[in-house]
Amino acid sequence: MKRITIVVAALLVAAMAFAAWGSAKPGGQLAAAGPTAAPKKPAKPKLPPLPSAVKSRKKWQIGVKCDFPPFGFIDVRGNNDGYDVRVARRFAELAFGSKKKVSLTCVTTPSRIPTLMSSRVDIIISTLTWTQARSEQIDFSIPYYAATGRLLVPNSSTLRIGSMGGKTIVTTRGALYATWMRNCFKSSTLLEVDSPALATAAVKDGRADAFMFDDAFVLGVATQDRDLKLTADKFLAIPWGIGIRKGETAMKRWVDAAIRHMKKKDEFAKILRANAPARLVSGFLDNVPRPKNTFAYPVGKDVTSICP
Amino acid sequence: MLVASFDWQFLWDHLPDFWEGLQATLKVAAIGIVGSLAIGIALGAARAHRIPVVSWIAAIYVEVIRNTPILVQIFFIAGALPYFPGHPIRLEPFTIAWLSVMIWGGAFNTENFRAGFEAVPYRYREAGLALGFSRFKTFLNVTLPIGGRIALPSSINTYISVLKNTSLLTAIGFAELTNVAYSLESVSFKATEVYVALAVIYLLVVWTLAALIRLVESRLALPERA
Repeated sequence: MKRITIVVAALLVAAMAFAAWGSAKPGGQLAAAGPTAAPKKPAKPKLPPLPSAVKSRKKWQIGVKCDFPPFGFIDVRGNNDGYDVRVARRFAELAFGSKKKVSLTCVTTPSRIPTLMSSRVDIIISTLTWTQARSEQIDFSIPYYAATGRLLVPNSSTLRIGSMGGKTIVTTRGALYATWMRNCFKSSTLLEVDSPALATAAVKDGRADAFMFDDAFVLGVATQDRDLKLTADKFLAIPWGIGIRKGETAMKRWVDAAIRHMKKKDEFAKILRANAPARLVSGFLDNVPRPKNTFAYPVGKDVTSICP
Repeated sequence: MLVASFDWQFLWDHLPDFWEGLQATLKVAAIGIVGSLAIGIALGAARAHRIPVVSWIAAIYVEVIRNTPILVQIFFIAGALPYFPGHPIRLEPFTIAWLSVMIWGGAFNTENFRAGFEAVPYRYREAGLALGFSRFKTFLNVTLPIGGRIALPSSINTYISVLKNTSLLTAIGFAELTNVAYSLESVSFKATEVYVALAVIYLLVVWTLAALIRLVESRLALPERA
């Protein structure tokens, strides 16, 4: 009995030493990370090597939204939270084994791509819808979310997507809704503001008749604000990607592999559940990549010039 | 380098966008300038002639507007008035646009014209009154023609500022020239092209406006100064 205990203990010590040696190896690849090595945590997935800049810093620098609940926002305790933020923290966990190994930078819709291009962050996870013009500026990871456009209107409004002529529609600057509006709704007046909060205020203040935006944001507003509702119209369903600087192939390889891993393990659905009110989750499960739910970008199609 | 990589075709393609923005800018600026001229003459006269109550209200108006940033005034009209207790005021973006630059320009013009009217020697007004003109007629026939011309050079600066201040309306999303350019840049990422074009357009427009007003100024110049 005593002998068995000693053997088991020796084996455990050897396994732990082996695991420690494995994780200290360059690239963080856990060749020996079997079920005996880490019984509590699931095995670390095999991911391509991290880009050297991130690896040597031992920390991610990621741009996220801070004004866009439930994707990127500052919670009551002053911490970043949301779907995008949790994806960023999961990346830190996958890369360095700790959710804390990431410094988050607040970006807005017009500032996010300039922030990425000026190398202030490694990547942006910031509600970034794929567009042809954007894909010429930066690289996109494979999709990690898919949103549709909705209209947020005052309760008393009878406005629909087909009756926007002569009405004032507000959206955020740089959003593809603005381009779509310009192309397809020339008889409407377009207001472009810098944040979704300002756009919501424009509808509440009576400066605009409707706020055209991602379902993820306006649904949250409509469920919290008794004066506002959503119309039944759905339009412009285009996936979101993580923004990567052009030519950083190692980065793209790692990010894509991480997303694929998370998709396979159905982690996006888990993150969605943690961020959306329970009653809304079922309506959004189709919006996240899941083992049997795959999205593709409309490459080659200019969606903003396809009018309803 | 700059010239070689400059995308002229892009600017050419988006000329209609710039034109649309410029039209909105000019419309707002025109209403703002005419309005601020009217406010300036009326309240400037009230201040110079120390008309009770009106003069005090004008003084408060001038102090409030001159000592707060115009951006705050725009946000106030767009964001605070709709929630005014008891009497919410909801305005169209276009109304907010011309109203805010007019109120701003009016305050500065009030001071321009007050200084102009006060510079008219008192003996001129006495002469007018002695000829049997009423106080109002004396103002119209004596003080306004002389004081207005004295105030002209400083009011030119105000008109130019009114025009340039329309760019701040981008903060409420009003589709004037700057807003259109900013939005164009944020979807095309052609920052150099967009902002160079924007600066050139403003330069041309403001130059033209200044030249026009100087022409009026030279026509109207007081004979003794010519």
